[in-house]
Order: sequence, then C-alpha cells, then structure tokens
Amino acid sequence: MNGMTVGISGYGSYVPRLRIKKEDYAAAWGSFSAAGVSEKAVMGLDEDVLTAATKVSRRALESVPLEGGVVSRFALASTSAPYVEKLLSGTVIVGAGISNGAFSSDHTTSTRAGTEALIAGFEHVMANPGGHALVAAADAPRASMWSPIEHGFGAGAAAFVLSSSNLIAELEGHASYATEHFGERFKVTEDELVHDLSVKKFFEASLVSNTTKAANALMKRLGRKPEEYQHVAIQQPDAKVPSSVGGKLMFGEPQLASALVSKSLGDLGAASTPVALAAALDVAKVGDRIMVISYGSGAGSDAISLKVVGDRKATPSVQAQIDKKEYINYVQYLKIKGAIK
Amino acid sequence: MAHVSIPMYWRTIPQRYKMLGQKCKKCGKVNFPPKGVCKYCNASSEFEELQLSGKGTVHTFVLIGAGGAPPEFADQEKAGGSYPVAVVELAEGPKVIGQMSDISPKDVKMGMGVKTELKKIYSEEGVIRYGFKFVPDQ
Repeated sequence: MNGMTVGISGYGSYVPRLRIKKEDYAAAWGSFSAAGVSEKAVMGLDEDVLTAATKVSRRALESVPLEGGVVSRFALASTSAPYVEKLLSGTVIVGAGISNGAFSSDHTTSTRAGTEALIAGFEHVMANPGGHALVAAADAPRASMWSPIEHGFGAGAAAFVLSSSNLIAELEGHASYATEHFGERFKVTEDELVHDLSVKKFFEASLVSNTTKAANALMKRLGRKPEEYQHVAIQQPDAKVPSSVGGKLMFGEPQLASALVSKSLGDLGAASTPVALAAALDVAKVGDRIMVISYGSGAGSDAISLKVVGDRKATPSVQAQIDKKEYINYVQYLKIKGAIK
Repeated sequence: MAHVSIPMYWRTIPQRYKMLGQKCKKCGKVNFPPKGVCKYCNASSEFEELQLSGKGTVHTFVLIGAGGAPPEFADQEKAGGSYPVAVVELAEGPKVIGQMSDISPKDVKMGMGVKTELKKIYSEEGVIRYGFKFVPDQ
C-alpha cells in the first residue's frame, strides 16, 4: 500500500428468515450434496437480490452513520440479478437514498463479484480521500432442482462503507490470481440457471489453486504469516471448502470458525465472502487481522487483508439473524423458487 | 389485473421506494401518498417535499386468503398462503394501506410497530414493480 490509509467504516448484513433443512432434501432426493451445510436461508416471494442489497446498504450507512447523499461510489455484486440488461444499481441507489451522482458499477459474472466490488470501492477511496464508497453484495443463486449444485444454494447479503477516516478496519492490501478454467458453475446466455459438470474434484482443483495463489501472493507481499490472522473468510460453495483451502494455506479451524456462515446459510454466491467478512467483523477485537479469500468460476480469486482498528458493530449481527428463522418444507421451497409452474 | 402502466408506476417511484411525502403549505398537514390537492384542507395544491420516516403502527389489518387476492397477487397467495394487508398510521400522521411482510399472519397485531422496506410487489409487462411493504419494527 502506498501510504494512504483506507478501509471499512461501517457494514451491515441481511439473512432472510426462511430456512430449509438438509433432511428435507434428503427426503425428496435421497441425498444432500452440499458438504457440511445443515440448513440454508431462502428469500421470500417478495424479495430478490435488489431488495436485499437495498436493505444492507441502508444498514451499512446507519452503522457509521453516514448520509447516503455523500456516497460518491456505489458497487453492486450478485450472480442472480433479476435482469441481464438494465442498470441494477439504479434500484438500490433510489431505494437506499444513495446520491444519484455516485459512479456505480454492477458486478455479476462470477461468485468473485463480491470482492471485485470491494476492491473497486477501495480503489475509489484511495484515489479520492474525501470520498465514500458503498459496496453491496446480495445473492440467491438459481439452478435446476435436478442439479446437485442447487442443494447448497442459499441467500444472503452484506454491504460495506469504505472511507479514509472513521475506520473500523484498515485495508492492508489485496492480491488477485486469474486464469482460464471452464465447465464448473457457468450460465450460458440462453439459460438463467447455473450449470455444473458436477465433477467435484475438477472444480475443487481450480478453486484451491486460484485461492492459494492469491492468498500466498498477498501474504508474501505483506510479510505476513498465516498465524497472524484471527479470522479467515474463504469462499463457501459448501461448508467444507474453507478447510480444504485453509489446510493448504496453514490456516487452522479456529481461524475459520467466525466466518463459517455456510453451515447454516448455504452457498451465498457472490455474497459468500462479504457475509463471511461481516460475521468476522461482528466478533473481531481491535488488533485482530482478517483475511478474505474469494473464488469465482472461470476462474479467479481475490485476497484481501484487513486489520481491525475499531469496535463499532453493526446490528443486527449475522449470528442474531442466523438464530431468527422460520422453517419451510421442500414443497413450499419449490413454490417460492418458482420451480412448479 | 388492475393495470398500472409503466410510465404511471414510474412516476410514483419516490413514494413507493423511499416514502417521499408532501407537506401542505397552507394547512401544514402531511399527505401520503402525494396528492394534487391537499386531502385535508382541499384548498391548496402547493406542497413541500417531506422525507417520511417509514415508521408507524398497525391501525387495523385483514388477511387475504384463497380467492380473495387481486389477479396480480394471486400467485403470491397460492405459493405463500394468505397474506396480511394493513392500514398503518404513519408517525407523521397519514394512514396508508400496504401489505405486511417478514411476518407470519398469526403474529400480526393491531397497534404493533412497523416500518417500511423495499420489496417486490408484482410483475407486469416483464417489469418487476418494486415498492414498500410494512415489516415488524424491532
């Protein structure tokens, strides 16, 4: 980093209150394919990623607190936007009262989109020291009910206010790695559903390779050792992946615990690492370090290193929202998802 | 279906997305949704914009069940079951009608505190119509 200190000055998270248990999937299909996930969050009929992004944007602004009118950069991340063409940011800008003059961008083509948006926001406040970036990630990925990848797909959102003052976490640095990979988790233009070869080893090889390269490059540049991090938020297509990646990077289970949201919320897509980061911020103490490592198929990874410098917490916490839930059965799930036409 | 054209809906976005109301310059009463002529004094069409808090209390409510939903909400009722519609007295005075969300119908009570949140209302002509619904304020 080049002198200028930037970081997170506020954040907010959102978990929809509906849940479905893995046992309901097992009863319907004979098995449940998302390792380590015991239940997952489901958006209600009247919600989508734009209403969720609006909600977390308001919560993040309130946590600072900051008026939406002074936001100079807005970045939105999701892989399950309701439109393929149309400015998605527009809905959130108006719904959350963000300045119409803010430069906005929509990040939508992979589950790495959450950290793409975060890094875009950090770059904005580094270049504009008086500016404020608001970054919102919301996702509820969709696949055919016949596809095993669908089993883990949950829903959630998180947003962050990025600034150069009044910080609760300082950005120490970020690094990325991207290369060509295909066949795992893709959507073709003609189909709104996620496809996947369902060859777990093929998918995990790319995930482990990209994430470890990005994270190792970052730790090398910063002169950091794995044990210097108290919280590690790794992309969670299921609840076992963080252990696989963490093992290669010498991160132990205690470091992964605070950010392991997928076991009760499922795969949050582009919102996976953002919600995991919010959960880590909820419990982090001043002086703690947080490592965020995203992954997006296709394939690439971003690693972000943060140091906690303030203990202003967002309400409600991710855990409080995980605990507040209402169960639905598989038939209700199919109806809400529009899988029965 | 109660057809609301896209331009007509678009014009109401400030009130539907972020509770932008108006204050009558003559009698001082708050109108929501915004009106052409003040509904309280019937004597003024001059207003100043007022950002409402979105908070209020449930004055009364009804549950819309099977067969009771208007066509644009029929699928919602079929998939999600009966849903509450409330008359809410806003903190700034006006009473407005809106759907309630994020709550089981059995938990809705008169006098409970609510606040507005952006939700999907329905879709028409391929366009998602967003707007406020009332959710528990806690």
